[in-house]
Amino acid sequence: MKTTTIRDREYKRNFVRRLMSVCLLFMPLAVHAASQTPTIKLFPTTVLEEIKHTGNVAAEMETGLQAVITRLDEQQNLYMESKCEGNEGDPGCEQIARQMGKSYLEMLTIMGDKLPEMETAVNSTSSSLEQRIRRELGQKKTSWSLQELLIGEQSESGNNADRPALRGRSGMRLSDRFHQYYQLVARSGGEVNSSLAVVASDIYLDMQETSSLIARTREEISRATLMEQLNQSFGTITPEMQEVVAGVKSILFGEEEALTPMTAPPASRPERGYESPLKL
Amino acid sequence: MNKSRKSIVTATLAVAAMATALTACNSNPPSATACSLPDGPDLDRAISAARFDLETGCEHQFDQYFQRLLTIAEGDPKKDNKASFSEFLIWANEEGLLSKRQARETYTRYFGVKYVSLVSDYSVCDQTCPRQQEVMREMNKELVDKEQGLLKVSADRREYYRANRLFQEAELVLEATCEACGPAE
Repeated sequence: MKTTTIRDREYKRNFVRRLMSVCLLFMPLAVHAASQTPTIKLFPTTVLEEIKHTGNVAAEMETGLQAVITRLDEQQNLYMESKCEGNEGDPGCEQIARQMGKSYLEMLTIMGDKLPEMETAVNSTSSSLEQRIRRELGQKKTSWSLQELLIGEQSESGNNADRPALRGRSGMRLSDRFHQYYQLVARSGGEVNSSLAVVASDIYLDMQETSSLIARTREEISRATLMEQLNQSFGTITPEMQEVVAGVKSILFGEEEALTPMTAPPASRPERGYESPLKL
Repeated sequence: MNKSRKSIVTATLAVAAMATALTACNSNPPSATACSLPDGPDLDRAISAARFDLETGCEHQFDQYFQRLLTIAEGDPKKDNKASFSEFLIWANEEGLLSKRQARETYTRYFGVKYVSLVSDYSVCDQTCPRQQEVMREMNKELVDKEQGLLKVSADRREYYRANRLFQEAELVLEATCEACGPAE
């Protein structure tokens, strides 16, 4: 039975989180770019084209991954149905495990192949948005006029449902947030400049973060590939594989699957912090 | 002998005169410069009392009086309170206690959606970004004042929500804009 260290688990968690962040960002971009061209100069045609291209690259990667993920799913089901858990020495189970390992490597290869192109697209879009934001908001506006721009479209009727949720504060998934952006831009027909300033800021900051995440993810893919190549010689399925696959599945299909690690954690209750009886 | 008697009488009269004079001083009615902050639950009455004090020597304590009035108004929050404070600040301007700009900024700080912390004359890149953290801290303090003015005094939740929303949007847009502006030269 394979065991994992705390460091490995932390690494896996980070890896999956990064993969999700990178992929989720681009899911709605193609849709966003297809919306009407806004009149505000923050989103000229060139920027929209770059966003569209980035969305297409992301979509290609998703399409490529979907088939591998489906195959991995089937292989995992077969592994479970064959009661391979605890029977790792069984030749049939070893074979299934190796096949799963191969599919996993294929998934990592696809990501490794596509990420450089995506990194270029992200950096290019980020750079264009940066120039626009600097010129339109940074140089043409004072902080007071920027405030007036933002407040301009805060309707007196207080119809705040139209406004996008803000980055990092809403607690919602990136894809949902971008869906809101799309709806806002599509409905406004480019008139809601204040919201577009917020959307542009949001996208730009996300792109900055994503660019760095992609770079780190690429490095980690190399490491994960090496680890899996080593595992192939033993024909084992690691919890790391399972978590990565589950993470990618949730990205592509929006599945909130419970992770079912091959090696269960110790059956002890999690420790709780001290709670005073005085607590109300 | 006569001479000494005369001098005793003169001295007695002088002492009596001084004592009378001192008593007369002490018996003057207490002046308004006592500067006792208004009390009680009635805002209108408190504003009248504050006006009286502020125009009779307590103008240096304007901020304390204003804060006390806000506290009193918290006891009976309603949208009409905004008008009361607006009139009070206009009066303060007319009395020369505040400049027009100070009166506007004070009102906006507590009862407006916009942030006086964002008042500036130059571009965001040049003026705001070099002190972005400081500006955000100021805005944060101002949001606390708006909570008092809009929410606790005026019971205007919608306007407070807008102010809060503006704070969040400004924070996001300033973060992105200052990132785009790059480091200050």
